[in-house]
Amino acid sequence: MELGPEDDELSLKERIMDNPRPAMIWLAGALLLLSVQFGAVAETIMSVPPWNDIVDLLPVAPGAAALAAFGDRLADLPTLLSRETIPNQGYYHPETGWENTFLGLSPAWAWAVRVALIYVYAFVWCGWLWYAYEIFREHYRYADWTPRDDMVDRLRVHRWGQFGLVIVIAFLVMALFAPAMSPTVADANLYNPYSYDFEYYDDDVGEVVTITEGAANAQSYSRGGDANIGPMQYDDFDRFAPFGTMQDGKDLFTFMAYGARVSLFIGLLYLFLAGFIATAFALLTAYYKGLVDLAVVITGDSIQAMPQLLLLIMLSVVLGGTWIAEIYNGGLILALIFAATGWPGLWRAVRGPALQVSEQEWIDAAKSFGQRPSVTMQKHMFPYVLGYLLIYSSMNLGGVIIGVAGLSFLGIGVNPPTPEWGRAVSGGQPYVETASWHISLLPGIMIVFVVTAFNALGDGIRDAIDPKIDVGGGEDEAAGSAAGGGA
Amino acid sequence: MSRWGYFVRRVLLSIPVILFGTSATFIILRMGPIDPAGAIIGPDGDQRAYQQIRDQLGLDEPLWVQYIDFMTDLFTFNLGQSWVIHPGSTANELIIAYAPRTIWLGFWSVLIALFIGIPLGFYAGLNPNTWSDYLASFGGIVWRAMPNFWLAVIMVSLLSQSETFFFGFDWSSFVIDTPIVTAPPMDWMLDPDMGASERFTMMVAATKMILPAALVLGSSSMGNEMRIGRTAVLETVNSNYVETAKAKGVPGRILVWKHIFRNALIPLVPIITYEAFLLIGGSVLVETVFAINGLGYLFFQAAIQGDLPLVGGLMFIFILMIVFINILQDFLYTVIDPRVGYEGGA
Repeated sequence: MELGPEDDELSLKERIMDNPRPAMIWLAGALLLLSVQFGAVAETIMSVPPWNDIVDLLPVAPGAAALAAFGDRLADLPTLLSRETIPNQGYYHPETGWENTFLGLSPAWAWAVRVALIYVYAFVWCGWLWYAYEIFREHYRYADWTPRDDMVDRLRVHRWGQFGLVIVIAFLVMALFAPAMSPTVADANLYNPYSYDFEYYDDDVGEVVTITEGAANAQSYSRGGDANIGPMQYDDFDRFAPFGTMQDGKDLFTFMAYGARVSLFIGLLYLFLAGFIATAFALLTAYYKGLVDLAVVITGDSIQAMPQLLLLIMLSVVLGGTWIAEIYNGGLILALIFAATGWPGLWRAVRGPALQVSEQEWIDAAKSFGQRPSVTMQKHMFPYVLGYLLIYSSMNLGGVIIGVAGLSFLGIGVNPPTPEWGRAVSGGQPYVETASWHISLLPGIMIVFVVTAFNALGDGIRDAIDPKIDVGGGEDEAAGSAAGGGA
Repeated sequence: MSRWGYFVRRVLLSIPVILFGTSATFIILRMGPIDPAGAIIGPDGDQRAYQQIRDQLGLDEPLWVQYIDFMTDLFTFNLGQSWVIHPGSTANELIIAYAPRTIWLGFWSVLIALFIGIPLGFYAGLNPNTWSDYLASFGGIVWRAMPNFWLAVIMVSLLSQSETFFFGFDWSSFVIDTPIVTAPPMDWMLDPDMGASERFTMMVAATKMILPAALVLGSSSMGNEMRIGRTAVLETVNSNYVETAKAKGVPGRILVWKHIFRNALIPLVPIITYEAFLLIGGSVLVETVFAINGLGYLFFQAAIQGDLPLVGGLMFIFILMIVFINILQDFLYTVIDPRVGYEGGA
């Protein structure tokens, strides 16, 4: 946004200082929204990336422990949308009704209220961010019109892209709010079930009894026939399972919510790395052409000549025993392998636009003006390529989710106990024909939804950026990568 | 640059690609953290056997000698031997034994995708913005987003319970009695002493057994073909020469077949060849679920059981296949469409 030091131009900060009212109103609203969730924000920052592993890797940084303690302290602050404020885990007492749940509601309703509130909160945030854009457009932007306005306007009437956006946001919210969304505590239900216990009312004994999560799980597994806790059912211990339980008695929804986190972490890290490599190479090859171009073409072709899924299997096996494979139970290495094998696809997709822009007069002008190549690439070529990068990133993300799920279906990649959607499909495979069909079916349907949504969002961005874009050209590449290398 | 000059350049470029890919395989397998001999022998193998394997694989040689041996062996199609899966048999024997099933699977999945995807796409393109177009387009998009492995799991269970789901239609006794999750018999292709009628029955059985797996494996390609086919038809329908033909009074049927379809097929060429990438990768998962012991299954088993020499040999074959298909695609392009740009279109 730096426009160069012309006399009559003020920086954004100065423009806000001149007319602070709309910005202040927005800021107040944002702080209000943030304040009800402040503890959760801190907790998410503390828990989503595998901090412990990262800290272990880094040379001992003084103050890291203090910082971590401070982060954990923040994470303890009360939040509105949390299990503590709206508890859904309780038991039914024949005389007093539901105990320990929110307002004495049944666990199903308490959980539904919490999830609904989370989504309301998330979409209010989205609306508020949109409002920020409108304030900026109306009060603080110099130009009355920019080409970006047209893109936004085109996206506003693009129903298919909006459908994708809504589902993508729903998926992101599910991943971000996984601890509050899931009906059970992940650590208790998935990771260390025998270290936690809870109370329930035992009809046979006629009083409240304590049992470990593990022992309860062992009696509420879904393996077809009578042994089945289907979607929207309670188990014998008054625990509500929105998606049913898995073949080992764990809660499928909790598994899915945390699995969404894993998929998202791998997907985003992959996109960041592969996107960076692809853009850098696209800009370099478009600017210098010649031998540089040829070298990258050959490297990219060679990587693509090895089937991605097979390369992933081979690398997962070869790198399986190393220290880097321990991090995030194999999640980090998977993202790295995906990036190393996936960048040629992304690079081919943005190479065309990069070549196009490199032919423009303004690039020649910048060259003859004596601008440094790196500056030319960043300021004059990158903005043009960025849109295309977004399109193919969105489509690629779906492919990565499918690819990761496919690998964990085969039993490689993300290792237990870290949840991964593909493992749920594989765990439920023997029971698809029985009453416990939900274990395999629901994760698969979720994958279909999320992947379709990312593709739809990609379509929407593409139509928004350029309605006349050449559809036949790069789409086959993106289409291929969207399929996750055949997984 | 002439068309054929361009084609020759593409073929020449594939040589460094093969070299590069094979070298990468060498680096991963030999210079990675896994000791191939250790992987073969397992954690509790005895020391003498371990040393024997090391000697046979030449692991104690200097790295550059290993590299040259590895490359010359592969390029003379001396693909080494299996140590764990089928101890003693050479990789070439294994590939010949396993490949027919994968080829059969690939053949049918390309065919199904072509014969369902393209007609649907063309139909949707000829009737744009109608309900049937929306239905076909949406179906294609969702169909494409389904993970193969999941679709395979669902397909297997639907078929094994076909009587309950499809109103009494029993898949396993349909036309000819076959089990659902078993590799198709491929003897009819290779066995010379088989009678004609027996050969035919077996071929029908093999076809029927491969169809569900092929449908799954072809699913994402089918969706792609549908989408691209639809756009291609739409673009062709709105192009000037079709307008001209219409104005000249060319009858509808000839217009569609002669002027629209032929031209709309051009953008489908890369999609069809691109299927190869998906087929080779996807065959691992589909073959695992349908219990078809083909090349993908062989590769996966070799990888997880530590049969790394076999993995290297198979990877080389896959690289050759993909490079060959890429050349084929360029060849088709060169022959079919004289308009394809050669500048910057690597």
